[in-house]
This record gives sequence, structure tokens and C-alpha cells, in this order.
Amino acid sequence: MMTAKIQIIIGIILIVALMAIINMIRKRRLELKYALSWLVAIAFVLVLDCFPSLLNKISRILGIWAPVNMIFFLGFCFSLMIIFVLTVTLSRMSERVRKLSQAVALNEEKIEELMKELSEEAS
Amino acid sequence: MKSIVIIPAYNEEKSIVKTVNDIKENAKGFDYVIVNDCSTDRTLEICKENNLCVLNLPINLGIGGAVQTGYLYAYKNGYDYAVQFDGDGQHDAKFLGEMRDYMESHDVDLLIGSRFIEKEGFQSSGLRRFGIKYFSHLIKLLTGVRITDPTSGMRMANRSVMEIYANCYPKDYPEPESAVAILNVGKKIEEYPVVMREREEGVSSISPIRSVYYMIKVTLAILVEALRR
Repeated sequence: MMTAKIQIIIGIILIVALMAIINMIRKRRLELKYALSWLVAIAFVLVLDCFPSLLNKISRILGIWAPVNMIFFLGFCFSLMIIFVLTVTLSRMSERVRKLSQAVALNEEKIEELMKELSEEAS
Repeated sequence: MKSIVIIPAYNEEKSIVKTVNDIKENAKGFDYVIVNDCSTDRTLEICKENNLCVLNLPINLGIGGAVQTGYLYAYKNGYDYAVQFDGDGQHDAKFLGEMRDYMESHDVDLLIGSRFIEKEGFQSSGLRRFGIKYFSHLIKLLTGVRITDPTSGMRMANRSVMEIYANCYPKDYPEPESAVAILNVGKKIEEYPVVMREREEGVSSISPIRSVYYMIKVTLAILVEALRR
């Protein structure tokens, strides 16, 4: 079903992507926590790429006739999952940013108040 | 009793000084704090030039986040009453004293200034009044409490409500939702008749295009709020 040629091409793409992600984690441009799902996904596809017969087995277990459809289906579910997790993270982030900026505003006012008191004392 | 007026301000350079003067003259015994929600005009500079008390948010949080900053400030500084007050000249400071007297003599946690009890002054456009009536009915249906002016931004809170709002306050179009939130935890809301003016400067945060979003979002927010009970 899959020729050795496409198997190698897919393998190279996956390994390049894997290296790119690891490199970004190394340079701290990507947090390991959020990159984990991508790493797992790449590992999973890499395994399938090396052993294409697994694909047929899994799709038969799931009751999907064409293995290609299973890839589309699983890929779609996985993408949705990542997007949803991102939305949850975004909500939490915006809450934290809000709390932070409110604390900054309150502190700034306090500092100015103290500065005023200080300069009054000095004069 | 320490009381404070919270004035959320986003691009209110033309009316902010007037609003503060109104409070200083007509609401004796009230402190005030302006929350500058990262205005892009000279609001902050004007506040500083006139030596006004201002909290300056480093990023724009929207009306909900700005008002909440005010409640946080009021709560942390030990105020007994905190009242929200628009910076665009719609609200009239002469009612603040009366509202506080009412709260002191009645068992109320949140007192909302309502345009629709005595039906005096600026009554908003027909379409908006329809929206307000709709929210009023929705809240009555879900909580059993009748609020004639659930979108009014003039509302006075005691310390218990201040504490709740300092922790948790809706981000955008917060008024109806925040009222339901405190009704659900058993707080008491009443309304006080006030007269409002048409805004002098600035535009409403609710443009026609956004009003559809507004209706849907606030309806859902109220329903979710009711589910939290």
C-alpha cells in the first residue's frame, strides 16, 4: 500500500519536525509542557510509518474500512484536542494577565503615594 | 463610614475632570479613584496634571477588568461602600449621598441606580429599552428578583459584594451578569431611582454591530450564572 519511497519521505519529514521542536525547546522558545502533545503525535506517526501493517490492524479494530480514513479521523480528533487545550490555556493566561496588571496598577498608585509623602517630609 | 467612587475611564480626556469635580462638589464625604484602562488619548496625563487619584492599568482590560480594579482597590483600602460611576458625564453625583444613606438604613448589599423607577431624565433609545426589558424579565425568571435597570452602570456595593467582585467579575458587558452572580450567593439587591443624562463625550461601548453579540453573550452569561447555583 505504501511504497518504500513515501515511507522514507514521511520519515524524514517527521524527524526534521522532531528535531526542530526539540531545538526550540532547547532554546526555550517552546515550553516542554505544551510541546509534549506534538512530540507524542510525531512519535505515534513515526511508529506507523515504520510499521505500516499496524495501520491496517488498528483500522480493522476500529471498524474503519480504509486505513486512510482512519488517519484523517484520528488526525482531526487530535487537532481538535490540541486546539481545545490551547483555548483552556488561553483562558487561564488571560485571567493571570488580568490579575497581574491589576496588581501593577495598585502598586504603582501606592508607590506614587509614598513618593509624595517622602517629598513632603523632605521639604 | 468610608465611601469611594470608582470611575472607570477609557479615553475620557474631555469629561474626566468634570466628572471628578461633580463628585467633589455634589458627593461630600466620598473619595474617588479613576481607573485608567490604558487610554490612547491624554486621559492619564490630564489626571496627573490635575493631581487626580488614578490607577493606571498597563494593558487594556476592558470595562469589567477596570471596574474590578476599582473594587479591589476599595476592598484593600478598607472602604465600607464602593460605587461605580461612569466617567463620561452620564451619571449625576448628587444621588450618591442619598444612595449611601439608603444603604446604611436598609439591609441591602448592592444598590443599583435605576432610570426606570421614576422614568425621569434620559431614558435611552427604544431599541435599548427593549433590550433592557428583556434582561430584566430574564433575571426575574431565573432569580425571582425584579431589577428594572439591570444594565445600569451606577451601583453601590457594600464590603461583602466588594470582596466577591474583587475576586470574580465578568470581563465584558458585566452589569446584568454580575448582578445575577451575587443574587445566586444570597446577596440582596435593591434599586434606587436616579436621573441620568445623555452622554456628553465619547461613544457607547455597545455599537449596533456589537449589540447582537451583546444580547447573546449576556443571555448565555446569565444562564451559566444561574447554573452555578
